[in-house]
Amino acid sequence: MWLGIDVGGTFTDAVIIDKGEIIHQVKTPTTHDDLLQGILEALDQVLREKTNAEFERISLSTTIVTNALIQGKLDQVALLAVSGPGIDITDKTPVKPHLLAGYIDHRGRETAKVAVEELEGICCQSTKNSIFAVSGKFAVRNPEQEIEIAHYLQEHVNPKHITLGSKIAGTLNFLRRTNTAYYNAAVWQTFEDFAAAIEDALVQRHITAPVYMLKADGGTLPLETAKELPVEAVFTGPAASVLGIMAMSKISVPAVSLDIGGTTTDIALWKDGGPLFAGRGASIDGYPTSVRAFRLKSVGIGGDSLVQRVNGQIKVGPMRLGPAMAFGGNAPTVTDALLALGLISHGDKNLALQAMEKVALPGVTLAETARQAAEAAAEEICRAIQAMLDDQAAEPVYRVEDIIHEARLQPELVVGVGGGAMGLVSLVAKRLKLGYEVPPNAMVANAVGAAVAKPTMAITVRVDTEQGRYTVAELSISKPLPQRKFNLQDTRELAANYLTARAKRAGITADKIEELYTEEFNIVRGFQTVGKIITCSLQIKPDVLAYLGNEGRNHHD
Amino acid sequence: MTNKPLGLVFFPAFDWAISKTHPEREERLLYTRDQIVEEGLLDLPEIREYKPRLAEYKDIERVHIGVPDLSSLLTDAHLVSAGSVITAAESFMKGETSRAFALSRPPGHHAMRMVHGTRGFCTVNVEAIMIEYLRQYYGIKKVAIVDTDVHHGDGTQDIFYHDPDTLFISFHQDGRTLYPGTGFMDEMGGPGALCSTVNLPLPPGTGDEGLHYLLDHLIKPLLSDFKPDIIINSAGQDNHYSDPLANMKITAQGYARLADKLKADIAVLEGGYSIEEALPYVNVGIILAMAGLDYSKVVEPDLASLDLRQPEKNTLYIKKLVSDWQMIWSQRDKLKAAAIQKTGDFWQRRKSIYYDDSGIRESQQEKVRLCPKCHGFMTIATESEGYPSGYKSAFAAVITRNACPACAKAAYDAVWQAKKENKFQHYFVQDKQQDVLERLS
Ligand SMILES: [Zn+2]
Ligand SMILES: [Zn+2]
Repeated sequence: MWLGIDVGGTFTDAVIIDKGEIIHQVKTPTTHDDLLQGILEALDQVLREKTNAEFERISLSTTIVTNALIQGKLDQVALLAVSGPGIDITDKTPVKPHLLAGYIDHRGRETAKVAVEELEGICCQSTKNSIFAVSGKFAVRNPEQEIEIAHYLQEHVNPKHITLGSKIAGTLNFLRRTNTAYYNAAVWQTFEDFAAAIEDALVQRHITAPVYMLKADGGTLPLETAKELPVEAVFTGPAASVLGIMAMSKISVPAVSLDIGGTTTDIALWKDGGPLFAGRGASIDGYPTSVRAFRLKSVGIGGDSLVQRVNGQIKVGPMRLGPAMAFGGNAPTVTDALLALGLISHGDKNLALQAMEKVALPGVTLAETARQAAEAAAEEICRAIQAMLDDQAAEPVYRVEDIIHEARLQPELVVGVGGGAMGLVSLVAKRLKLGYEVPPNAMVANAVGAAVAKPTMAITVRVDTEQGRYTVAELSISKPLPQRKFNLQDTRELAANYLTARAKRAGITADKIEELYTEEFNIVRGFQTVGKIITCSLQIKPDVLAYLGNEGRNHHD
Repeated sequence: MTNKPLGLVFFPAFDWAISKTHPEREERLLYTRDQIVEEGLLDLPEIREYKPRLAEYKDIERVHIGVPDLSSLLTDAHLVSAGSVITAAESFMKGETSRAFALSRPPGHHAMRMVHGTRGFCTVNVEAIMIEYLRQYYGIKKVAIVDTDVHHGDGTQDIFYHDPDTLFISFHQDGRTLYPGTGFMDEMGGPGALCSTVNLPLPPGTGDEGLHYLLDHLIKPLLSDFKPDIIINSAGQDNHYSDPLANMKITAQGYARLADKLKADIAVLEGGYSIEEALPYVNVGIILAMAGLDYSKVVEPDLASLDLRQPEKNTLYIKKLVSDWQMIWSQRDKLKAAAIQKTGDFWQRRKSIYYDDSGIRESQQEKVRLCPKCHGFMTIATESEGYPSGYKSAFAAVITRNACPACAKAAYDAVWQAKKENKFQHYFVQDKQQDVLERLS
């Protein structure tokens, strides 16, 4: 029995899933000032109504980190950057960094040393309990300077927390790692307090089930591990919805999914049974980070989107004035149009028709007006889908093969979930000439997603046989290779071993390991091949613990 | 203009090499990729990355004549590389970008009009293909090319040698000391295009100081006199002090400041084979400079330990070179009139061309009609011998864009006449007015 709790903008939803079925769901108002209160309210309601519930796990998709970031409730962090030669990052990070001497080059070689005097200066300004983020250029090729700085800080100021950029992500992009390390440090205490309160609350309720936190990549982490990487728990709402769709629809063909809310529709693309990831990481407050997230596009159309007439033309969204007139609002909305058309059945149809009257032209029927409004909304969504497919096809690639054999994603199915305007899905699908599915319980997709999301974890191993060394940045490992000759297969095995071990330490089983990225280059010097550079990134991929029962699943062609 | 980003087409062709240990191999832009991605340049709003399109054969045939044909001489990588440069240029022409940089390989500036194989790592001239594309589709007329590769851009020179609308300026290490052994001051363009080819051979050991003296006192003034519609930079990076194939002393800062001052509309990577010590820094420097960003911190890690002052004799030589060229340039109209007067109706020359990567030796006879009404036409008779390519020959005519009817007809007549005499294997007319490469058979 699994409990999934999703903290949304308006409601906090909880679902219990047992043997692949939703056996119970509750809804409580989200308490923005104190998220914990709403979460516990949902939990207590579940416990009251299902007194015999025995949970194997509890998973949470919360806005605790997102809210802290959006509301700027961030702790003061000393950001230390070993930036070396290259771009000046001074005005490119959320707070002004202390730029330190030292440099690691692209091969992971130290070409300039860290200057201890500079650290002394910074330590003088720091008090006990300070929080630090340390990030070095090419630290993923050799984390030793970051580690050296961290050791110095630990010895001299006894800091409360230090985030290292290289442990955040094993991939290149110093600026993103630096931003991410900063944000991770800045929300560390907030998340720590939240996690402690959750743990306390569960002890009080005699619940011993392990707690997992959802991440932006659609995976979960055990609460204990998540405490070290709280920044990963940002933007989990859309991720939860995508996982919910995965569990409820078991998408096996190239597809587009829509999560249609009150004012926005979140679009995701699907290939090979899984959602596509964004090429780089998510952006926080306009700053690029290395937090892995799904490739999502949000368009300003939802059930509550205002329908109005501008210069004689029907215009839909992005504005919202209130709920649909069919539900007591004052202005016509997309939901009213869909209800007037008979595409949905919830709500007062007479009020919906009255809503259409407000925007109807003389001599045009209310049904026709409703059709125009609904089609305008569908068109807007279709335009966003096309733009997304275009962007995906325009993503640069670096191999001749990938240009010659370019494969544009051709969706074959539309899947729709979300509370707002379910009737829109059929209109979008019709415009795209595709079949569509609206899974039952589509209204609680987020909570379902949280409940069934499996843990994920990634690792990057980089081997340089000329130097006879390898690096696993996320684990702060930089070591001599076990043998001089080392090939791609050896690297894969090494990476898989490290990933499995890392997962095991966090209490995760690494059953489905997926290759994210590999590359292999010969190093040639003076017409002689003197070694190889091999990079291999593996992940335990986002997946669901179970697919929900297929009975009642509606497929339309 | 100022708020538009730099257009960047980065195409390192990670799956393409001339051969396993050749300087043009998969690894060439690996460390450049590392640096660009690690610096986070692709995330900056001042830089927009574009995916390259594939060039079509039609785009390439606007410039080149392949013997026996282009498709047997090219790989897909050449189509992508030429397409990269076109993509970069189009982003600029459409007004999406303030300037554009095609950081792609394989390079092109040693590829001449006639193609029998690969020479100086180049098979097709990616800049020339882009320039003729812009002339065909965007009505560009006057083009200035500044070739800042350490090697003489002999292919680009060959293609535009008789075109008075293309100013080709190349500085390079003196041809007596480096491949391809050409690019001397007296190669100044055909009589009808005299002084639109400007060669500036530099002695080995020249550093940033000499380069920037040349730029400030000669190249920039020439460009402002010529008033081009567009400025192209053949941005080779093998003048770098660490380059294994040459002997110059330019730094990443020297290259970045060059890009900053030159303000080329479109830059195209050419050579540069110090793949670890130079390319990561030089490319980041050029990108930042072209994007209008601060590049002052882009410094090679080993720079502080080196003495890169150029010898005094280089300084003196460069001062003289500049004043000599200032003199020639001031008299260019007179010199051109005199050359045309002296030549008469036809100008011809013999050339011997070596394809070092293909082991082919070509001999060419080029004959140019100097027409008082138009830019005339040209015929090229070519024969080559190599292993395993064997013996190959062709006769071709090139009809210029503004050729008068008489010149256009004379060009066809010349090829038909050669065909009748049957001394060659292949016969072509490259007709720029009709925008076709016609194979006569
Ligand atoms: Zn070169
Ligand atoms: Zn003529």
